[in-house]
Amino acid sequence: MVATEQGLQTLVHETGGWVASQLEACTRCGMCAEACHFYQATGNPEYAPVWKVEVLRRAYEQRFTPVGRFKSLIGLEKKITDQDLEHWSKLNYYACTVCNKCALVCPMGIDLGSLLHGVRAGLSAAGVVPDELMAAVNKQVEEGSPLGMTDEVWDSRLEWVADEWEEDIPRDVKGADTLVVFSSIEVMKFPTNIAAIAKILNAAGEKWTVSSKAREVVNFGFYEGSEEHTKLFLSRILEGARDLGVKRIVVTECGHAYDALRWHAANWLPEANDFEIIHITGVLGELVSSGRIQLKPGFFDDKGTLTFHDACKIQRKGGHIQEPRDILNILAPNAFKEMTPNREEAICCGGGGGVIAIKDADPIRYAAFELKIDQVNKVGAKTVTMTCSNCRLQFTNSVEHFGLDWKITSLVQMVADAMID
Amino acid sequence: MTWQSALEFARGPLFYGALLFFIAGMLYRLVTVVALGWSKDRVPDKGSKAGGVVRSFLKGILIWPFIPWVKNTFSRNPLIYIGGGLFHLGLFVTILLGTPHMLVWKSLLGFGWPTLPLPVVDWLAVGGIIGMLILLVHRRINPVLRLISGPAEYLAWLVVFVPMVTGYMMTHHLFFRYEVLYTFHMFSVDFLLIWIPLSRISHFMFYFFSRAIHGQQFGKRGVRV
Repeated sequence: MVATEQGLQTLVHETGGWVASQLEACTRCGMCAEACHFYQATGNPEYAPVWKVEVLRRAYEQRFTPVGRFKSLIGLEKKITDQDLEHWSKLNYYACTVCNKCALVCPMGIDLGSLLHGVRAGLSAAGVVPDELMAAVNKQVEEGSPLGMTDEVWDSRLEWVADEWEEDIPRDVKGADTLVVFSSIEVMKFPTNIAAIAKILNAAGEKWTVSSKAREVVNFGFYEGSEEHTKLFLSRILEGARDLGVKRIVVTECGHAYDALRWHAANWLPEANDFEIIHITGVLGELVSSGRIQLKPGFFDDKGTLTFHDACKIQRKGGHIQEPRDILNILAPNAFKEMTPNREEAICCGGGGGVIAIKDADPIRYAAFELKIDQVNKVGAKTVTMTCSNCRLQFTNSVEHFGLDWKITSLVQMVADAMID
Repeated sequence: MTWQSALEFARGPLFYGALLFFIAGMLYRLVTVVALGWSKDRVPDKGSKAGGVVRSFLKGILIWPFIPWVKNTFSRNPLIYIGGGLFHLGLFVTILLGTPHMLVWKSLLGFGWPTLPLPVVDWLAVGGIIGMLILLVHRRINPVLRLISGPAEYLAWLVVFVPMVTGYMMTHHLFFRYEVLYTFHMFSVDFLLIWIPLSRISHFMFYFFSRAIHGQQFGKRGVRV
């Protein structure tokens, strides 16, 4: 109960006017459910975004509004218990990727994604984060990475990538313009992404570096919803950047890391504004449109139909919607086909928000992916490309689970392959 | 007490009292929310926040009520769009552009405005009532709405529905004597005015917050809303 009280305190603390005014705007029309891939896939009404934030609303109403106080006094609204928080922990961490599609559907325009993040903050303070997710957070606190990418592993992996693909990966270069921070998903599971990004930046003549201090862009504290952990992981990156005196920080193909660093860091750590923070997709857009790298037009046109998966944190919440299209229209003007819905209204992969890290969430994660299977099959694509390694992990894992014959790749990979040397 | 004196009470002292309660209650709600504090957003913008806000309101005011089918979730749940759209349209047209209501505004504000012909208002009011019924049925059959609806939601529905129906019956002299209907209409309107600040019917005020926040959030990220 002490922990629950702490959780409620955090929920209440999260509830500035910004949150309160949005909670007050909700008419309980339930439309947000129709946007949620987990609700669509399972039909479980508890997965409606409005219900996932119910615990935040109750905490707010019972604490701040006369009606709420009156209602709980006469027993119309129940006090939030330990069991409630356990229950909402499952709803929020298992069945929500914080993809924010619900915000687009809400007729009142409520930014549900940030409210859902607020719920996580309360659940994390109450100590009801699922074990596997919490284990990953603790690993990142202790070892610097949730995927076991210790200093030595990082060192040897990067050395191996540099050797294997014969690409120069500048390390700890003081005075470089650009600091590139990879995600451990790329380092450990998609090393070709590292080689591809190195190839692209080297070809463009960019003065770039990686940092041994800022070596992990992934932020499991952000998944958890813990401000303390999120700040700790963000500050490691910012310290690395400051030590090397870079002008900008490039987040590689990782969605939530970009969300945390680009759209939240400065509100917790003002020094984040000393750097330009940009996603690699934005960099690709710049390099291609300015002609600093040249692409072979139609390079992927003869390799079967190809489609692009929009990542929630990079496209819908990050704004890099047009760049991938511009690039794909050069690389595969005929073979590239759009899924419906797409762009900011795209359906989420189902693995983000830490969901893929939780074993017990596998059944609903796969159920949500079936929506994606439908979408891809409708355009008849055999290759799916994307700009987020977490989506890519969900895709490669689910493609194996469902025995699909799709090729899953990334935009940087395609660009690197189709560059004119 | 005669119907006449009840009516005089309901459209006189009770109405003004309810109106005052409504205004004070809404102000209280507004002040308590605003006083919770607003942290400054120090994150540099990618797109235009102001542009996002403008688009957000245009979308909220033009697309949602009038052309909802451009949204792809429309096909998944058309009832809520149609019910909600009909209800709000009927409500706003009736209370702003119906002649009897305009005259109430005129007595309160000191000036009036042109109104729509009765048959137009009348049909839109019928649409509004049908919209309300659709919303009620939908609330009973949709699994998500059943989950999130408690006594407060149904009471709010009733509190809005009664003034609409009694108003319509009054206009057409249906079933009861005019003064009786008028009295019921006025009592229900008075109750509605009191109930708004105590319930979610107050959403129309916070609508302006949430849509502005929506526009800012998407606008600053350079995503069209």
